[in-house]
Amino acid sequence: MLQLTPQTIRIVDVYDDGSHARHFTFEPKGFVHDNPISIGQFFMLTLPGVGLAPFTYTSIPDKTGRFNALIRNVGHLTEKLFSLGKGDVLGYNGPFGRGWPVGLIKHKEVLIVAGGCGLAPVAATIDYLINNGYSKSVTLLYATRDSASQVLKKERTRWSSSIKLIETLEVGGDSDHSGLPTQYLSHLLNKDDQYPDIVLTCGPEAMMMAVANSCVDLGLKTSDIWMSIERRMRCGVGLCGHCYVANSYACQQGPTYRYDEYLALESKTVAFEKDKVLFQYC
Amino acid sequence: MIERYNIVNNRYLLKDLGVLKHHLAKYYSVVQIQKDADGEKLWTEQFGDKIEPLFGHNHLPLTSPKGFLFAEKEVLYKFDGETFKTILPQVQPKVMFGVQACDLSAIAYQDKFFEHDPYYQKRRENILLVGIDCESPCVTGFCVQVDAGPHVKDNTADLVLSRLNVDDANGSSEWLVIAATEKGINSIKGMTLDKADNKHLKLRTKLLEKVRSEFVDYSYISNAIEYLNNNSVPAQLWEELSVRCLGCSGCTNLCPTCSCYTTYDVVEQQPEKPVSISREVKLEVTKSETIRCWDSCLFEGFQKEASGHNPSQKAAQRVERFWFHKFSDEYLPEFQRYGCVGCGRCEQTCPGTIGVHSVMKRIDQQCCS
Repeated sequence: MLQLTPQTIRIVDVYDDGSHARHFTFEPKGFVHDNPISIGQFFMLTLPGVGLAPFTYTSIPDKTGRFNALIRNVGHLTEKLFSLGKGDVLGYNGPFGRGWPVGLIKHKEVLIVAGGCGLAPVAATIDYLINNGYSKSVTLLYATRDSASQVLKKERTRWSSSIKLIETLEVGGDSDHSGLPTQYLSHLLNKDDQYPDIVLTCGPEAMMMAVANSCVDLGLKTSDIWMSIERRMRCGVGLCGHCYVANSYACQQGPTYRYDEYLALESKTVAFEKDKVLFQYC
Repeated sequence: MIERYNIVNNRYLLKDLGVLKHHLAKYYSVVQIQKDADGEKLWTEQFGDKIEPLFGHNHLPLTSPKGFLFAEKEVLYKFDGETFKTILPQVQPKVMFGVQACDLSAIAYQDKFFEHDPYYQKRRENILLVGIDCESPCVTGFCVQVDAGPHVKDNTADLVLSRLNVDDANGSSEWLVIAATEKGINSIKGMTLDKADNKHLKLRTKLLEKVRSEFVDYSYISNAIEYLNNNSVPAQLWEELSVRCLGCSGCTNLCPTCSCYTTYDVVEQQPEKPVSISREVKLEVTKSETIRCWDSCLFEGFQKEASGHNPSQKAAQRVERFWFHKFSDEYLPEFQRYGCVGCGRCEQTCPGTIGVHSVMKRIDQQCCS
């Protein structure tokens, strides 16, 4: 039987990281993680008296079971979370879903395109690649609205010495690094020596789709592009029904989808002309 | 998959259904279709010795028995300030007496969907399903079109009741009772029943054919299912239909297979130190409980994320989603049937007249023209 009841975790460290974003370190209380957690999976966080929501592991649990999450204060639940501090107790369920294709990206030229808080779900992948000696083949294109919206400063500083890190700002960047990530992408992908074998992208959905389509236009196969889809969730185990993508649930078959699989799912339902939505970094 | 139906197929004859019901009432609390004060037929638990006569083997009740298995609202777990404790439902053995074929097919569907849900299964284990064959088509029912009736499908009930004949002179009937599972056989132990033979089974089949022939032509439903699966329903039609969706959740609440839920937390109030959960106040919860309740994919906020991003922002997307979930071939490998069991309750309740008949007719008309 599924276990819907959370286990208890405690906040052991908190620090601000970018505007309206905060870095949390959690520690299991009275349990050990019984499943190996793969990079790119997610967990459900329960705030007693408030509710539950899905979050990503910025780092997967270490030997002591501690793990990190970069969380943006964007809604009712996170607002309550930001009022908590060291020692406060929360509920935890996980890990859930399908992570990044870590086995596939070793020995490959990897391009990671992250937008805003979308850097959090790929952070552990970058660390994994660096720690396993693959840093030379990693390029990270990190896009945000402005410099205040950038997150994971410590991590980016650490990474900058080992991987190729490009940061673009929609507003306030220098002439080479301003605008949308897709604009930079064509510039990046036109250089033969940096042509990626595989692309991982995470950020606002509209950004990911734009990135994926640009990559396809520039010659990548849809099966070489992976994305992490965000959905509202109330369980993490395929029961509540909220996170549907056609006949799949993002909490089960996702949140990481290969672009061709995602397109195949999308094609099963009617394509509506979407109301024009300007994507926002989250 | 939990094996509930060890097929045994013992067959008996019974003159008076009341005898069976009273026998079962000794071991189970009885749940059956009953009229409320307004004359509306609803699935209702019987209390005390009073057992109402049976309604419904010709008329579908407004509600399905869904709520007795997948509770409309229930506590999942409690937080005591330190840890979370699972609260499983406290359940007594219940007999669902006289469940029609469509609703039984829906229960079989939900049995699969909630196979690993401890709350659903706790209730399910304690329920004896007594199915009943329908004797005529009901007003909105099209069970024949989606392989869910009118006679109780195999592997969907513990006991099956089928009226073989009615003696108009004295009003008495003869019922075929099929004990289809071990649970069913055990439930009638101690009763003295005559054995039925092949002749009676043949009569049941004959009656089934008669009832099937009485259904009006619902081929527009089969046609529309095909159009839906060809992805040939234009976006414009969904846009038009969705204008009529009020997002009231009547269809999803009454649908016997709909299973989406949401959760919410309730803070246990402490009189000496009231806790506010308003946005301004720091979280000072000591005790709370998490409750789940039925949700609806037709609600605008069903998929809306905290950032404001809503993957199903348009009503047309949500309406299309509902019908995709009911009729897409994509779900067949998992459930071996469609998510619609042909009860037509959505048609009965929808204030915007976009229930199953209206929608499927529109699709058929538009796509074939």
